Amino acid sequence: MSLFGLKIQPGVSIFDQLVTAAEKAILSGHLEKGQTFPSVRSLAVDLKIHPNTAHKAVQYLIQERWLEVRPGIGTVVAGCPRKPSEIRRHVLEQDVVRLVEEARRVGMDIKDLIRAIEKNWSKAEIALETKGQ
Amino acid sequence: MIETHALEKKYRSCGALKGLSLSVPRGSAFALVGANGAGKTTLIKILMNLIQPTSGTAEVMAVDSRRLSPEQFRCIGYVSENQELPTRLSVVAYLKYLRPFYTDWDLTLEREFLAQFRLPTDRKIQDLSHGMRVKLALICALAFRPTLLILDEPFSGLDPLVRDELMEGLAAHAGHMTILISSHELTEVEGFATDIGFLDKGKLLFQESMETLADRIQQVTVTVERQGALNGKKPDSWLDFRQVGNVLTFVDTQFSECDLGERIRSRIDGVRGIDVQPMSLRSIFTSISRATRQEQG
Repeated sequence: MSLFGLKIQPGVSIFDQLVTAAEKAILSGHLEKGQTFPSVRSLAVDLKIHPNTAHKAVQYLIQERWLEVRPGIGTVVAGCPRKPSEIRRHVLEQDVVRLVEEARRVGMDIKDLIRAIEKNWSKAEIALETKGQ
Repeated sequence: MIETHALEKKYRSCGALKGLSLSVPRGSAFALVGANGAGKTTLIKILMNLIQPTSGTAEVMAVDSRRLSPEQFRCIGYVSENQELPTRLSVVAYLKYLRPFYTDWDLTLEREFLAQFRLPTDRKIQDLSHGMRVKLALICALAFRPTLLILDEPFSGLDPLVRDELMEGLAAHAGHMTILISSHELTEVEGFATDIGFLDKGKLLFQESMETLADRIQQVTVTVERQGALNGKKPDSWLDFRQVGNVLTFVDTQFSECDLGERIRSRIDGVRGIDVQPMSLRSIFTSISRATRQEQG
């Protein structure tokens, strides 16, 4: 089991992957405000990445105010630093780009794509509701 | 941390290194990759002063490798390709034998490693599996907290679980040292290395940071209209060029987002779509190796 569901993908900057995964985990509530964030060492060991890369990512997240250092406790989740809607758009940017590219490649038009998104959107909603009961 | 300049090594008439200039930055985890016979082990042996270069220089921690003193070797951890260990000693006896050679041997760290790697301390080394021996060799190279760690093919012949355990051990302690690692296990190395040097036939093809490499080399897929094709000769920076039906694929080794569409349209007629995918180190390695082989072939 890797940290917040992150599996390192080849060929993509590990720093970027780590930062995006952490941001997504905080947005989705998998990591809640006040919870301790994994240490640099445990990030390095669990993901088998260089500790300096893990350190850089944690420092960046602190600087961007996703995380904060609490003396005596360690690094904890600070919450969402900017407007959630703005951040959500930014975090999903790459996924959207990919989806649009794929759709264009197979010759789908934008209406089909939106229809497909709507269909899956309601499916996901139903799944959430049944889970909630 | 390591600088070599125009390094040459000849074995009889056969040249193993042919003017190798390479620089391993301080604090990096430098992956040395290249086909068998590219000169990786020869380079490492020169760095450790086990053999001497025919010409050129190699500096380790700012000292000529031929003049490394015992004090300097006390800061270097080294595990060779077929690390020999005294087979008749037990694990604990061997560690006890090594400790006095190092002023900075860290007993707590040694214990931590023994527990993490689950090594049976009372067992004789001759009765250890290959994986356990490599783990022991790694403990011996790490327990004195070296400033430089050199590993020559540490993963060869190990099963995935042991490779994983070794990587975890390395990742936990890599923070303050410079690591030079030669390996064919590119998947293991990929996430961990910060820099990479690509050796081919005794020369350095390139060295750069992993980030630069990942940005520079991309798999490009171009979909074209019927009749669409390459006009003229493909650029040298495109490797593995193939066309199947209306789809052209190649590995762009000088990739840049800037003017991508224009550059491709100037080379290929009837472009309908362009898709760019990042590549794993393994695919990069095979593409480049194949290309250099064809050039020389």
